[in-house]
Amino acid sequence: MKKYIIYSLVSISLMLAGCEKDNFDEPKAMLEGQVTYNGEPISVRSNSAEFQIWQDGYALYEPIPVFIAQDGTYSVSLFKGEYKLVRRGGDPWLPQVNDTIVVQVSGNTQVDVPVTPYINISNESFQVNGTTLSANFQIDQIVAGTNVKEITIMLSSNILLDQQINDFSEVIELENWEFGKSNSVNIQIPESLRDKGYLFVRVGAQSSMANEFIYTNAQKIDL
Amino acid sequence: MKYTILRILIVACFISVMGCDNDAFLEREPRDIIGDEQLWNDPDLIKSLLANYYDRLPSLHGVFNVGGMTEIDDAMWSGHNDQNWRNDFQYNYDYGRYWDYGFIRDINLALDNLEEFSTEIDVDQKNLFGAELRFIRTFVYFEMVKRMGGVPLVTEQLIYDYSGNPEYLQIPRSKEAQVYDFIYTELEDIKEDLKGNNDSQTRANYYTALALESRAMLYAGSIAKYNNLMDNPITLPGGEVGIPAGRANEFYTRSLKASQEILQNGNYSLYDENPDKGMNFYEMLMDKNSNEVIFAKDFQNSLKTHGFTYENIPRSLTEDNEYPTNLTPSLNLVESFDYLDGSDGELKITDASGNPIVYDELTGIFENKDARLYGTVIYPGTSFRSMPVGLQAGVAVWNGSGYSYETSQTLGSTYEDGDLWTGADGPQDNAQFVSNTGFYIRKFLSNASGASTRGVASENWWPWFRLGEIYLNGAEAAYELGQAEIATTYVNTLRERAGFPANSIANVSIDDIRNERRVELAFEDHRFFDLKRWRIAHEIWDGDENSEQAVIYGLYPYRIVRPGHPDDNHYIYSRMRPTRFKRARLFRLGNYYASIDQGVLNNNPKLVRNPYH
Repeated sequence: MKKYIIYSLVSISLMLAGCEKDNFDEPKAMLEGQVTYNGEPISVRSNSAEFQIWQDGYALYEPIPVFIAQDGTYSVSLFKGEYKLVRRGGDPWLPQVNDTIVVQVSGNTQVDVPVTPYINISNESFQVNGTTLSANFQIDQIVAGTNVKEITIMLSSNILLDQQINDFSEVIELENWEFGKSNSVNIQIPESLRDKGYLFVRVGAQSSMANEFIYTNAQKIDL
Repeated sequence: MKYTILRILIVACFISVMGCDNDAFLEREPRDIIGDEQLWNDPDLIKSLLANYYDRLPSLHGVFNVGGMTEIDDAMWSGHNDQNWRNDFQYNYDYGRYWDYGFIRDINLALDNLEEFSTEIDVDQKNLFGAELRFIRTFVYFEMVKRMGGVPLVTEQLIYDYSGNPEYLQIPRSKEAQVYDFIYTELEDIKEDLKGNNDSQTRANYYTALALESRAMLYAGSIAKYNNLMDNPITLPGGEVGIPAGRANEFYTRSLKASQEILQNGNYSLYDENPDKGMNFYEMLMDKNSNEVIFAKDFQNSLKTHGFTYENIPRSLTEDNEYPTNLTPSLNLVESFDYLDGSDGELKITDASGNPIVYDELTGIFENKDARLYGTVIYPGTSFRSMPVGLQAGVAVWNGSGYSYETSQTLGSTYEDGDLWTGADGPQDNAQFVSNTGFYIRKFLSNASGASTRGVASENWWPWFRLGEIYLNGAEAAYELGQAEIATTYVNTLRERAGFPANSIANVSIDDIRNERRVELAFEDHRFFDLKRWRIAHEIWDGDENSEQAVIYGLYPYRIVRPGHPDDNHYIYSRMRPTRFKRARLFRLGNYYASIDQGVLNNNPKLVRNPYH
């Protein structure tokens, strides 16, 4: 009987010790940063824009997707080493597939990724007058030949909002529309959003060349 | 002593076996393996090999792929909640990826073997088999090019020579236009040899080759035209994706020529056997004597069946012990069927001031619609297999100033006034195994006895090509070539079969043709590819929750409870968004061509990625 106990103890301790062999430490280095244009942060739709990170020299050659948060920040935990960061297509900025950014990751690495959006929204400001929200913003053409397909103002009681997740959105039809000119738009705040005392607002615009909108950062407005 | 005798005996036996001078013992023909000489000289064996290859013809969501249809056609998933992701997902960049060089190799190998070993069969027959194999290969390449863009064109076996340098096996992608040209030249080359099959609807024949040509060339023409009309055309520098605009007319011309030859010389006709135009459209795909079908994948009870009817039968008509009720068509589809007077198909649910319009009968709102609606969709007030389908969401009780809508959780229950409350077939919102949209599918749903049981299952066939599509291919190609009169005639012919009066459209527009394709070919694995080649998929499915097109809608009928009023026991309808449809469909520019698997790219450095991936 005693023997069995000893044997089983030995085998259990072997099993536990064996775990040392095939377990690796988790990645400890962090790569963080912000998507920027001319040094200014860029905002996107959550769950849409994405960078790819590649590492050479290993048998498994697969991209690591890096998802970008709605305010344009990203973070990814990696092993220490050299990586290549690729700005692929399908996002509201020009793809730069061959123009990779080489990143040395060790410890906590900060890398801001510059992109060239097709269009950009700037100088946005919002005021509330009773039940009317007036928005001021300017849209600049960055890539030659692009037009604006749609401009939308989105409202929500939550900070996560975009063209798909929102409580209310209104497509803006602008007369005398021009790039680089400040626009002022009034929209009615819907009843369902009036009683909270605050709301979040974003302006989004879609370039005719991109299939994703580019946004202003979500702003909290007190009512 | 005993053992010594035994030993001698064993040795003696062994020697007697070994001693045979005759090598025949070791060189017998295997009884359980068929050699290449046997296979390729026996037409019956070749046919059974071909049957396997025909069975492997690829499709994205064809051949009764119910789940796939709910992802990309005008329908939503109402079956088990575990699969509700079909109503709540985003098309990933690998959606629709198809890269089947295993199949291509099998076909190339078969073609080589046919050439090498077939010595004893008739030359015509040998050419027919070879042409059939090449037809299947062309079909596979067409499926690849419409999903991936230009792919490597491999037409012979790739055999490694162990030299240590596999570079000669790394074949780069052809241009997208080159693959379409390959499809054209192959089909032109083999069509004569296929004439031996002209009386078959399940093996490729002369007209099947032309039908594939008609479809493939139309796709190439529209990519050439519409891709270049985009603000930011989807192309690759090497032409692997994107076709030059200048080639559009050439492709459209080839397509129109192929369509016209089928229409004029083919022994096919639009199915028109039943004076009830709605039932006629339904029977067109059920009746295997229908000579509208050019090429089909056949099924037969006790040999090979499919479960489409089991999976989609209206809940109250199930014969099996579970209620799958998976695919339920959308209101969007129902509204895309025009009225027979030619007016737009939007249903008249409310009047100008927003009050619901009262109908005497459940079917009232669908009266005078395109008869194909009846043949495609089971809508409230209709029956299937001569059994009424009980579609009623609940009752609308008049409260003095308006209606309050009351629904019951129990299907088939009775309301306080003694009449039906919620129908036995729903619709019920946010429920499983019952329609969430207010409709069931009729197209492809077999009314044969026992067809909705798993034991018997269905034997109706899958139409790969039918004359209805050829009319529409012809109309579209003619329209794009500026021959609007021909296009109008073709569309009107098809509409006449659907119950419209003669010449129901005076001058057809491209939108008419596109809508005609949507209603005529619903659920036949066309919609997704049509939206892609017209380059409007990203506009239709733009992910906007307020969109009329990216969101699936339903229509719920209610019985009015208003005792003493003439409206009592009449019906009103309510348009709604099913709760289970969680996320508006979003098709991104990167979805026009599916991504190539990273493993494939790693193995062949000469392959280039598709755009946006």
